[in-house]
Amino acid sequence: MTEPNRVKTGIAGLDDILPGGIPRGNVILVEGAIGTGKTTMGVEFVYRGASQFDEPGIIVVFEVSPDKLMRDALGLGWDLAKLEQQGRLKIVFTTRDVLRQELQQADSVLLDEAAKIGARRIFIDGVGRLVGGNGSLESRSAFHVLTEGLQRENLTALLAVEASSLNGNASASLPEESIADTVIRLRMEDSQRAISRSIEIVKSRGQDFQMGRHSFRILDGKGIQVYRRVQAPRKPSRDRAAAFDPTTRLSSGIPGLDGIINGGYFVGSTTVVAGISGVGKSVMALQFIAEGARRGERSLMLSLDEQVEQIMRNAATVGIDLQAEIKKDLIRLEYEPPQEIEVDAHFHHIEELVKEFKPKRVVIDSLSTYGSNLGTKGRVFRDFFHALVALMKERQIVAVYNHENPEMLGMNSMMGDFAMSSLVDNIVLMNWIELGDSFRLGMTIAKMRANPVDRVTHECEVINGHGMRVLPRALPVRTQPFSAYASLVARSPERRTRGPEGAIPDGSSE
Amino acid sequence: MPSERIIFPPINERDRPEEIKLLLARISVIRNGCDLDLLLFLYRHPRTLLTNEQIAAFVGYEMKQIAQSLEIFIEAGLLARTQNPTHAARMYLLELNGPAGGDYKKLLESASTRPGRRSILEALRPGRSAPEGHAQNLRLVKRASGRG
Repeated sequence: MTEPNRVKTGIAGLDDILPGGIPRGNVILVEGAIGTGKTTMGVEFVYRGASQFDEPGIIVVFEVSPDKLMRDALGLGWDLAKLEQQGRLKIVFTTRDVLRQELQQADSVLLDEAAKIGARRIFIDGVGRLVGGNGSLESRSAFHVLTEGLQRENLTALLAVEASSLNGNASASLPEESIADTVIRLRMEDSQRAISRSIEIVKSRGQDFQMGRHSFRILDGKGIQVYRRVQAPRKPSRDRAAAFDPTTRLSSGIPGLDGIINGGYFVGSTTVVAGISGVGKSVMALQFIAEGARRGERSLMLSLDEQVEQIMRNAATVGIDLQAEIKKDLIRLEYEPPQEIEVDAHFHHIEELVKEFKPKRVVIDSLSTYGSNLGTKGRVFRDFFHALVALMKERQIVAVYNHENPEMLGMNSMMGDFAMSSLVDNIVLMNWIELGDSFRLGMTIAKMRANPVDRVTHECEVINGHGMRVLPRALPVRTQPFSAYASLVARSPERRTRGPEGAIPDGSSE
Repeated sequence: MPSERIIFPPINERDRPEEIKLLLARISVIRNGCDLDLLLFLYRHPRTLLTNEQIAAFVGYEMKQIAQSLEIFIEAGLLARTQNPTHAARMYLLELNGPAGGDYKKLLESASTRPGRRSILEALRPGRSAPEGHAQNLRLVKRASGRG
């Protein structure tokens, strides 16, 4: 066989979840309720074939007039009229009765028209009513006749069928599904008053595919963009790629901090900076990316909380001129409004940014905003974060995630409801400490994977025009042995004045 | 080969009755409302696979009228039809790239608006519509295409 045995749909992202395309000659059934994008998908399938893969095609419509179809396609950037003029596309308007009779005849006029341009693809919009759609034996037979007629001509056919029962979470099997080789379901899903589109490959004979409901959008001037379900397993290489370089570290950019964290963060490491709002997390992030720019390393900061202009203004107050670094293409700031965030599309956006910009440092501000939009209880957020961590490790990026911990004084847990500290390499806790009549800022390195860490709380300060620094310890602290305390495990330690045998424990100055 | 798409402009001078009459005189195959509406239908559906009955139903005229209009269009080289008498449905392909293509496009532009279409129908009304020389023009078309 000299020709490739897979037909690339050419639809962005679809050939990733149907790896390499669809086996040639498969009858593809696209089912969904009104407005789910069936016609758009069918037209794009034929358009991409004719314009990108030298596979002319036929579009058969029953209800939509061809001039409207062409007008709508033009809005998506597809010039169907031009393809018709070039003899690579034919749009045929007919009725279901005629088509049914045509496909039952060996000398079909329609298939003859297809042969004249060497068509390899055909899209028929609205076959459900063509074959009856009542699930009867007769309608299945009619569908079978239709598919036989198309296969006789070696056409890869995409057939759209309306299935109103498939909206939302409903799932119902159409009789045509058993005959079709590939079945694709399109849905509009309702989530807390927002609507999103999803695509699911129900079956595809002759190939493996990514199961589950993926997201997709119809983009003006572009067409369909499928976003792989963020939970779907990535290439194994992504997880294996985290080359555990035990020597290369990137400076945090915070004076005094690198000394505490053994010189900086390891490449490919994941760091969470946790603390209540206003504690200085964003300032630390700005210093982290500014330090990268100073060293000629690219940094990406993705904010869900503050718009780009606001971030630049904040940076200026701590003496960082982001505009200059952005012009030098060393820093890129991205803001995405968190309302109605669609996790698959969002992850795709980050992935594309990382591939294109190739940063060494990434800051995400903040995890808590994701949590409040995606929910922290289900798997969506956890799987999203898992995919994000894997992406950054594969690319050997030092990633810093800010996380707003709601506790103002002290912390009962490092990441609150998120319960994902096991995925994180380093955790920096930022705390207010009330001393006298003022709050002082304390920093504790609670976790640093593959590093010795003293877990001492260090005082920090943020100075206007200069940013944050970690203050050196002025006086050595004498440590007491555990035996100098009581009730350690009960989390209410008390200093003993006498040891168990009446003596003052060793190491005590008392 | 299908003709280039037209972006219809707003109503303008072209819809004046005298302009319309001149245009119809040049085109000659548009004799009545059925011809006009059939042309509009075929413009929106330039490649159709339909029976005459179905076309009549879509356009809204008697089948006999539609059949006559189709024959006129085919004879004028405006429409191509597959030759397969065993099939009830025929494939029709509108061809607007011939010598008179520009005039057809102007007519379609005018007919795309309600006032424009009314002006054309008014000009086609019996007693007014048959532009002088219509029959002669039709004979010339047939002779030129070797079908008359």
